[in-house]
Amino acid sequence: MKLADIMSHAGLSFYAQVALVIFLAVFVAIVIRTFLPSRSKELREAALLPLDDAAADRVRARRNS
Amino acid sequence: MTLAFAEPLPGVARPAAPGQLDRFTYDDSIVRKFLFATLIWGVVGMLVGLLIALQLANPYFNFNTEWLSFGRLRPLHTNAVIFAFAGNAFFCGCYYSTQRLLKARMFSDRLSNFHFWGWQAIIVSAAVTLPLGFTQAKEYAELEWPIDIAIAVVWLAFAANFFATLAKRRERHIYVALWFYIASIVTVTLLHVFNNLAIPAGAFKSYSIYAGVQDAFMQWWYGHNAVAFFLTTPFLGLMYYFMPKAVEGPVFSYKLSILHFWSLVFMYIWAGPHHLHYTALPEWASTVGMLFSVMLWAPSWGGMINGLLTLRGAWHKVAEDPIIKFFVVGITAYGMSTFEGPMLSIRSVNAVAHYTDWIIAHVHTGALGWNGFMTFGMIYWLLPRLFQTEIYSHRAMSVHFWLGSVGIVLYVVAIYSAGVTQGLMWRAFDETGRLAYPDFVETVVRLLPMYWMRVVGGLFYLTGTFIFGWNILMTWRRRPAVYAEPVIEAAPLSRLVPVIPSTAAKGSLVQRFNSVAWHRRWEGAPLLFTSLTILAVVVASLFEILPTFLIKSNVPTIASVKPYTPLELAGRDVYIANGCFNCHSQMIRPFRYETERFGEYSKPGESVYDHPFLWGSRRIGPDLAREGGKYPDLWHVRHFANPRAITANSIMPAYEHFLTKKIDFDGIQKRVDVMVMLGVPYGDAVNSAAAIARAQAGLIAATIASQGGPANLEDKEIVAIVAYMQRLGRDIKAQPITTGSR
Repeated sequence: MKLADIMSHAGLSFYAQVALVIFLAVFVAIVIRTFLPSRSKELREAALLPLDDAAADRVRARRNS
Repeated sequence: MTLAFAEPLPGVARPAAPGQLDRFTYDDSIVRKFLFATLIWGVVGMLVGLLIALQLANPYFNFNTEWLSFGRLRPLHTNAVIFAFAGNAFFCGCYYSTQRLLKARMFSDRLSNFHFWGWQAIIVSAAVTLPLGFTQAKEYAELEWPIDIAIAVVWLAFAANFFATLAKRRERHIYVALWFYIASIVTVTLLHVFNNLAIPAGAFKSYSIYAGVQDAFMQWWYGHNAVAFFLTTPFLGLMYYFMPKAVEGPVFSYKLSILHFWSLVFMYIWAGPHHLHYTALPEWASTVGMLFSVMLWAPSWGGMINGLLTLRGAWHKVAEDPIIKFFVVGITAYGMSTFEGPMLSIRSVNAVAHYTDWIIAHVHTGALGWNGFMTFGMIYWLLPRLFQTEIYSHRAMSVHFWLGSVGIVLYVVAIYSAGVTQGLMWRAFDETGRLAYPDFVETVVRLLPMYWMRVVGGLFYLTGTFIFGWNILMTWRRRPAVYAEPVIEAAPLSRLVPVIPSTAAKGSLVQRFNSVAWHRRWEGAPLLFTSLTILAVVVASLFEILPTFLIKSNVPTIASVKPYTPLELAGRDVYIANGCFNCHSQMIRPFRYETERFGEYSKPGESVYDHPFLWGSRRIGPDLAREGGKYPDLWHVRHFANPRAITANSIMPAYEHFLTKKIDFDGIQKRVDVMVMLGVPYGDAVNSAAAIARAQAGLIAATIASQGGPANLEDKEIVAIVAYMQRLGRDIKAQPITTGSR
């Protein structure tokens, strides 16, 4: 008996559905976490990482005004 | 330079006192090296592109030379542009941005240099072996096994260097551009390894361990994700770094960029099967591929909008700054190709577009517009910083921009028209119910004016690239005698696990959720982040690909389908070595206009011995899946020697050398043995492949001579390839399909 024989009769399609639900749940969790109001400040600061200090300060000044 | 956070967040180390700051420099010499490599290979890749565009417009440009023929050079063009031009451009931007985003010099300059020289050596070996005909016959994975091993080694060196730099970073938050780099690095590793699994049958010859449907599935899982994780996510990382740099403002929405990232990681990996609609792939797989491709539209456009809106408040710069012009057109091209991709993945649209130039136009919107223009914009931005001088000519930047833009429009419009024209001509019936254009060559001749327009478009784009190169060289010549190396100061990341203030346990549920250590550590832990990305990619791949390997009903076998004879196998290798699969498909789709033209549609069970599969992706010439028995042997001999002697307007290169090059009979046994290792039932041929091949070659040579053709061909490549041609698609004519497994 080959592996393919076992797999063909194992009724595995259920697992694909489980995986789909898990994937969706993880993705929804990521979305929720990203939009938590408490993370807003941290992420706004993270967005300034590529900028050099002067440019980042200009953006902060603009945000505070 | 200080910590990027204006005020420390709970659990984040406070800024260190000045005495504790680390002092270090960035390695920009590696960035400069990759910049020059990008330029050189860009020119080479585009020149080869121009040559093969000329070859399609007029076969004269094959120069009757074996190693200059279209089938040999087309893979060289794609590999050079993808892995050499775009690859080096990504490395250039990656080395520049990674060091700065992590506030750390690369972990090892030696590894950086090993990566650089190793990658260039791989490209050179590709440029030598592909024209010589060493190929695995899988698109964008043509390189043979020794080079594949070298690619894995060099890529892992790059990965090790990158992750070690992440580990010694001085910035807690890993900026989103780096997430895109991480996903690219790990996914490309997986794709490369699994698609290239093959058994060597010589120094530069191997057979894929997969066959037929499974090989096709594996290949397009790879092929599509090479586009995703070599041409899209790395360049999105570059966009998220260099666009804010050029605009001097943050990305429009950092939150959107996070969603952009995760949705691409979750969805892209499923999309591959849309390259195989209406082929012998199981329908469920093709549906899954289509569904995920259509869903991809949303995050792709989210990302495009995010990139473009980064210009908010700075729109006036689009008119003034050529760098931002390049970025805006580049990101718009990303939007156009990611709209078109999902559309083309819809089965009914794909039915018209598949095998036509439409796909070629689609990829060139992406390659010329997105990858090309993002690269040009990025390098123009880098030039004054890397060479520490003014850019030589701003005017030349604008000229380059307009030449490139006009070039893209000319190319894309011409080739879209060619694609739609040919797609519609193939399916046209006249009022009597017969094919309106039964001669395939009619549908080719109609495209020639558009092929010439493509040549003009390519010339525009290439001229722009030459101006780009000239501007780089002139700027480089103004560089200082010694480059200044600014010393950067930054606080090291505390190695201690951050202490969570006790207040964190109080407050609303949301506050408490947000203040617990797990997710901050999660974000701070590249290892875990990387593992999650790998998990998302691997699980998706397994669920999609494994069923065709393990569930028998997916590939019904056909009792009458037998392995190729040793001579046919040798002929198949000649077919592979000459890149015939670049222009000829071997996969007839179940449409009346296809079966009328080419014969019975292809079944999954017909290619179970095809290591590798040769279904093809483009029909520049007719499908060959049912070629066997259509014409006498002599027809093939004459046609190979001079296609235009048989079909006046054919654009196929001549293969006169088939009549003079000798078959390596003694090498056939080794190849048969490898096929046996792969499970192909060869029976008698196991020990006597050469003798069996000689016998069959003698018969075919005698037939050719008796039909009035040249004599003494029994040891020439022509009899091998004729044997293969005459075998194609004949097996199923004998018996009905039976379900079972090989």
